[in-house]
Amino acid sequence: MTAATTMDPTDAYPGYLACLADADEYAAIDVALGLLDAGVPPERVLLDLVAPAQAEVGERWARNEWSVAQEHAATHISERVVAAVAAHANPRPTGGRIVVACMDGEWHALPPRLVAEVLRLRGWQVTFLGASVPAAHLVSYLHRHDAQAVALACALPMRLPHAHRMIEACRRSDVPVVVGGRGFGADGRWAARLGAAWAPNAPAAAELIADERALRRVPAAQLGHLADDEYASLVRRRGELIDSALTDLRERVPATREYTAAQLDSTVSDLGHIVDSLAASLYVDDASLFTEFVGWLVEILTSRGVPASAVALTLEHYAAVLRDFPRASDAVARSRAGLPATPRSGG
Amino acid sequence: MTASDVRDTDPGDGRISTPSTTRAPAWSSGAPSWPPSALPPLAPDRDQATPDWSEVVEHFREGLVVCDADGVVRHVSPVAERLLPEVVPGAPLAASGVPGLSEGSPGGFTHRGRRLTARQVPLSAGRCCWYVEDVTESVSRADALLAERARSAFLAVVGDKLGNPLHPDRAAAAVVRLAVPTLAEVAVLVLAPRAGRARWWRASRVDDEAPMVDSGVLAGPALPAAIAEGLTGVEPHALDWLVEQAVDAGWLPGLTGADSAARVVPLPGRDAPVGVLLVARRSSRWYDEDDVGLIRAFAARAGAALTTALLYRDQAEVADTLQASLLPVEPAETAGVQWGTAYRPAQAGLRIGGDFYGSHRLADGGSVFFLGDVSGKGVEAAVFTGQLRQCLQALHRVESHPGRLLRLLNDALLETTQAHGQGRFATIVLGVARPQRDGGVTLTMAGGGHLPPLVLRTSGEVESVPLRGMLIGVVPDPRVGEVTVRLEPGETCLLYSDGVTEARGGRRGDELFGAERLVTALTGCQRMPAPALAERVEQVTCDWLGHGDHDDIAVLALRAVSPGGRAARHLHSVPTSTSADEQPESHA
Repeated sequence: MTAATTMDPTDAYPGYLACLADADEYAAIDVALGLLDAGVPPERVLLDLVAPAQAEVGERWARNEWSVAQEHAATHISERVVAAVAAHANPRPTGGRIVVACMDGEWHALPPRLVAEVLRLRGWQVTFLGASVPAAHLVSYLHRHDAQAVALACALPMRLPHAHRMIEACRRSDVPVVVGGRGFGADGRWAARLGAAWAPNAPAAAELIADERALRRVPAAQLGHLADDEYASLVRRRGELIDSALTDLRERVPATREYTAAQLDSTVSDLGHIVDSLAASLYVDDASLFTEFVGWLVEILTSRGVPASAVALTLEHYAAVLRDFPRASDAVARSRAGLPATPRSGG
Repeated sequence: MTASDVRDTDPGDGRISTPSTTRAPAWSSGAPSWPPSALPPLAPDRDQATPDWSEVVEHFREGLVVCDADGVVRHVSPVAERLLPEVVPGAPLAASGVPGLSEGSPGGFTHRGRRLTARQVPLSAGRCCWYVEDVTESVSRADALLAERARSAFLAVVGDKLGNPLHPDRAAAAVVRLAVPTLAEVAVLVLAPRAGRARWWRASRVDDEAPMVDSGVLAGPALPAAIAEGLTGVEPHALDWLVEQAVDAGWLPGLTGADSAARVVPLPGRDAPVGVLLVARRSSRWYDEDDVGLIRAFAARAGAALTTALLYRDQAEVADTLQASLLPVEPAETAGVQWGTAYRPAQAGLRIGGDFYGSHRLADGGSVFFLGDVSGKGVEAAVFTGQLRQCLQALHRVESHPGRLLRLLNDALLETTQAHGQGRFATIVLGVARPQRDGGVTLTMAGGGHLPPLVLRTSGEVESVPLRGMLIGVVPDPRVGEVTVRLEPGETCLLYSDGVTEARGGRRGDELFGAERLVTALTGCQRMPAPALAERVEQVTCDWLGHGDHDDIAVLALRAVSPGGRAARHLHSVPTSTSADEQPESHA
C-alpha cells in the first residue's frame, strides 16, 4: 500500500476509487487517514473524496459496469471510511441534537451519513438513524429525545409521497425539518412543493440547521391539486395497472412470455416503479418528475440490453388506460415525446 | 315634477323614455330611485295618497346633505344635522371641516366619536348629494365578532400544535412560542421544580418575525414570589407588583415595570399545576376580561400538553431501559470472522420483536452464534427472547458443543414455560465457529426447527445447508439436527428468520418472497462484506414488501476473513491508535 502524501483529495481520488473497485476496505481507509495526517480537514476528505467516489459508484452501477454486489461492497467500504474519518476527527459536541435519517423505503444511506458527519464535525450532537427509517420509529425517537432539527434524505423522487408523510410527522412533533437528496429534484423544487426547507449539500444543510428561525419560516405545502383525486386513484389501481401492463407486454412482445422468474420479478418491479413515479409526479403536480424518471429508466434498461421500445410500449398502454386522468395523461404524453418512436406492429 | 310622476319612471334602467329621465340626464344608474330634482324644495303634498318626501327622508337611516354646483350646502336633513352639526345650509361644505366629506373615505371615518360612512352621488345641474350613515354599532358588533373569531382561530392553532404528543422540552418551547404575539410580547413558562430546580422557557417578540425562544434553570427558592404562588395553583392578583418581580428576575427584556401589564396563570396538571405561565406586554394594551379568558383557555391546553409530554417521557424512559435489554446485542468481534446483522421488528415504533440473534466468544478463540424466532409477536415475544438469550449466555460457559447446548437450552426453556404455564416455543440455529489457520472457518451447527442456513461459496453459488431438527421448548428430548460446514476464506454463511422468506408483496401484495428469490438475490454477492450482505437481504425483503405489514426480520451473516493477512492493515482503521506512529509504516 503506497498512499503518497498529498494535500489534495482530488489527487487521491483515482487511487481511492481503485480501492473501492478492489473492495479493499483497509487500503481505502489508509488513503483517507493519509489525507487527514497530511493536514486535510476531515470535512474536505468526506466531501471531496468519499462523496464524489460514491457518486461514481452509482454511475458505474447505472452504466451496468458494476454489479449490485460490487456497488454494495463499495458503499460498505465508504461507510467504513466515513466511520474512520469521523473517529479520527473526534469533534467535541457543543450544539444541540440533530437527527439524520433516510426516509422509509430509502436505502441510499451514505449521502445522509456524510451530512451527519459534517454536522458532527461542526459541533452538533448528531444521531444517525440509518437507512429506511419507519416514520413510527422516527417519531418515537423524537418524543424521547429533544432534537433541534431533523435532516431527512430522499434519493428517489418516486418516494416523495412517503417523504411528505414523514415530513408531516416531524412537523407534528414540532421539530423543524431540512430535507436533501436527489429525490427532491436537482434544484429542490419538489421540497418547496411539500413545504420543507431544502439543502443542496451538507454545508448548506449545516447552515440551515444553525438558523432555526429560517427553518421555521418555510412556506406551507402547496398540494391543492390533490383534490382531483388522480393521485389517490392511481395508488388504488397500482396492482391492476402493473398487471394490465404486463399482459399487454406479453401480447405484443412474445419474448417476454419466455422470461425466467427472476426476469419476471424485475419487470414487475420496473412496472411498479413506473406507476410509483407517475403517482409521485401527480403528487407534486410536476410532469417533469415522470419524464426525468422515464429518461433515467431507459438509460438503465438500455445499458442492460432492454430496448427503449419496451418502455415506450408500456407508456403507450398507460396512455390508453389513463385517458380519464388529465394530469397523468399529460405526464405520460410528455414522457413519450422524449422517447424513440414505438414500433407499430404488434410483435 | 311630482312624486306621483316618479312611480311611472323606470328606476335605473333609463331605456324607457319618460319626461323625468329626459329632464334629469345626470341621473346615474347608481343613484337612489327617486329623482333628485325633488329636492329642494320638496313639492308640497297635494293629497294624502302620495308620500310626504321631507317626512320620508327624515326617517331615512342615512342623513342627506345637498350641495349646489359651487359646493355650497343647500339642504341638510335632520339625521345629517345630528351627525354633522358643523354642516349648515348656506355655507360651503369644505368650510365645515369634516374630513370624510371632502376627501371621500370609502372605509368610513370617525367623527365626534361615531363611526360614519359617506358617499357622494352627483345630481342634475352640477349639484351633488352626500349620504351619511352612522355605522358605529354594526362596526363594533363586527369588531367583537372578529375578535371572537381571532380568539377561536388562535385556540385552534394552539390545539393543532399542542395536540400531538411532544417531547417535554419541545412542548415547553411551543407553549411560549405560541403565546407571542397573540397573548404577550414576552411569555415565560416556569415548570414545577423537580429536585429543587425549576426550568424556564421564554419567548420574546423581536420584530414581526417568529419570536426568539431561550431557556434556563432557576433554583426553587430563587423563584419570584408570584411564580411560586402560581405553582401552588393560586392565580396572583397583585398585578403591578407582579411586573416588578418579573422585571427583577430579568425575564422581561425591553419592558420596564412602569409601562407594562402582566398576568400569571397556573397551567393545570394532574394534581398540582405542571407549571406557570407569565405573559407581559406594554400597558398600551391592558389585559381585559376577554384577554384573561383567552389566557386561561390557552393555559388549560398548554397544561394538558405538558402533562402528556411529561407522562410520556417518564414512561418512555422506563420502556427504553427495558427495550434496551431486549434488543439483540451485536456479535462480539472475533478474529477471522466478519459479522453482519440486520434487524427490523414488525412494530417499528416498538423496535423489539420475537426474532433474536447474537454471539459469545469462547475461550478457545471460537464463537457461539445463534439466530432464532420465538412464537408470538411484540413485547411478550421480546421478553421471551430475552429469557432465551440469558439462558444461552449462561449455558455456553458449561457446554460449547452446539447439539448438546441446544438440548440444554430446550430443558431450561421447558422448565420456564411450564412454570409460567405459557406454551411458548422457539426455532433456532445455534452454531460454533472456529477460525482455522488458513483463513477458513469451520462451522458446527445444530438446528432447532429453524430455516436452513445458506452458504455463499467463492464460486458465486448459493448452497442451502441441510439442517433439520424440532422446535425447542416443546418436548423434553427433541430431535436436534447437526451439521458441519467449512467456509473457505471469503465465503459467507447466512442465517435468517422467516420474516424474510414469508414477506408478502409482489404485484398483488399477497405473494410470498420465498427461498428461491432469496437465493437469486444472493447469487453473485460472494464478494460482499458481511454487513453489506445482511443489509442487502433486509433491503430486498423490504422492497418486496412495498409498504405492507411484515413479520419481524432478522439476518445474521458470518464471513470467513483471513485473520493473518488483514491484521496489520486493520490497525489503521482502529481510530484510537495514534496516527503519527502509523504514518511511516503506511507510507513506506
